[in-house]
Amino acid sequence: MAQPKPPARTSLRVVSDTESCYPDWETVYADNAIWVYRMIVRRIGNVPDAEDLTADVFLAALRPLRTTATVAQVRGYLRAITRTVLAAHWRQTMGCEITSIDDVPDVPHEAEHAVDSAAQQVHRVLAALPDNYRRILELRFLQGRSIKESASQMGVSVANAKLLQHRALRLAATLCEKDER
Amino acid sequence: MNARGLRRYIDDLLDGRRPRPFVADGFEAAQIRTAIELRAARTASDAPNEHFLTDLHRRLTARIPGVHDTPDPLNGPHATRRQVVVAASAAALAGGAGIVAGAATERVTRDGHSHAESPSMQPADGSWQVVAASADVPAGVMYPFDVGSVVGFVRQVNGQPEAISGVCTHQGCRLWFDQPLDQLRCPCHSTSFSPTGQVLSHLLPIAPDPLPRLEVREQDASIQVFVAENPPTEPA
Repeated sequence: MAQPKPPARTSLRVVSDTESCYPDWETVYADNAIWVYRMIVRRIGNVPDAEDLTADVFLAALRPLRTTATVAQVRGYLRAITRTVLAAHWRQTMGCEITSIDDVPDVPHEAEHAVDSAAQQVHRVLAALPDNYRRILELRFLQGRSIKESASQMGVSVANAKLLQHRALRLAATLCEKDER
Repeated sequence: MNARGLRRYIDDLLDGRRPRPFVADGFEAAQIRTAIELRAARTASDAPNEHFLTDLHRRLTARIPGVHDTPDPLNGPHATRRQVVVAASAAALAGGAGIVAGAATERVTRDGHSHAESPSMQPADGSWQVVAASADVPAGVMYPFDVGSVVGFVRQVNGQPEAISGVCTHQGCRLWFDQPLDQLRCPCHSTSFSPTGQVLSHLLPIAPDPLPRLEVREQDASIQVFVAENPPTEPA
């Protein structure tokens, strides 16, 4: 019996010519799974939900997908499904869309551009915060330190570190909102 | 305003857990958004887990019909047709027997017969497999079975056997029967199905499909389910 073809899953974009077609669904998956996941996890912030929603996107997308569609069409389609799945997730869990995916047709480069602009905004906002606010957010969010470790690093009590984090996030959110306007 | 809900949400986010939803006001939503952006700025935090990618690939392979097909080496017109990932009914997706059994069951129901063994009703590839002795499935009992490629439940309705897939149509988790509530329940995302396979409740963004019915018959004091063969993996 012939062995099933192993998936080619190493590169972000296997197919460079967006007017060509994918040979089979496995190539669709190999070529797009990573950027779809990244697009979601950046807007969800946690791995369990990001994995579930990525699975939802591909389970929904691959059923009706024609591989006669061009690469560009497939990516646009995946992006549209991802937007819908993300929006539905937020409505279902929080009652409002906390984050969303812009209606930008530039699918292949979305991953890179999104990282750049989001990272720039984060750094702009952090730079505008008072030192102790910036420090607590860096330790907790960017470095993944526990509240105890963060308190110890900053030489404050755990209760004080919690309060700092709470206030820092409020101020950062205010600055983010202004930044987006 | 829900300060406790927000604090718990942020703690879950920072600890890598699935955050618990709460009713957030506008500014709390903004704080969650900022927290997500900060969390996403962590170096290498957006790369998918290799195990997840492999596992999802496996789940897709198991649930999308025709994915075992190898393109025709002659690359003729048939190759194109075979490479197309065809839209399929829910019946074709959730159970190993779904592709054939779902369609056949529909025909049986429409015609008002239950002669699955009739030659005209006999699907081409597959076999009948015993899943229970008739005595094991009295009226009112939801009897679970597992014959390897097909997992499901059988029961007697008005003296006739009925069978449905025991695999959730969302992400393929195995269902369990909650006897007191008379529901099939999914341990992964809290979806519940009626004994006939209809979705009763779910917490998903998009409602999952109902459970496919499996073709079933009673013969020689045993209950048998039709199990389809896997699609061939040899090149045409």
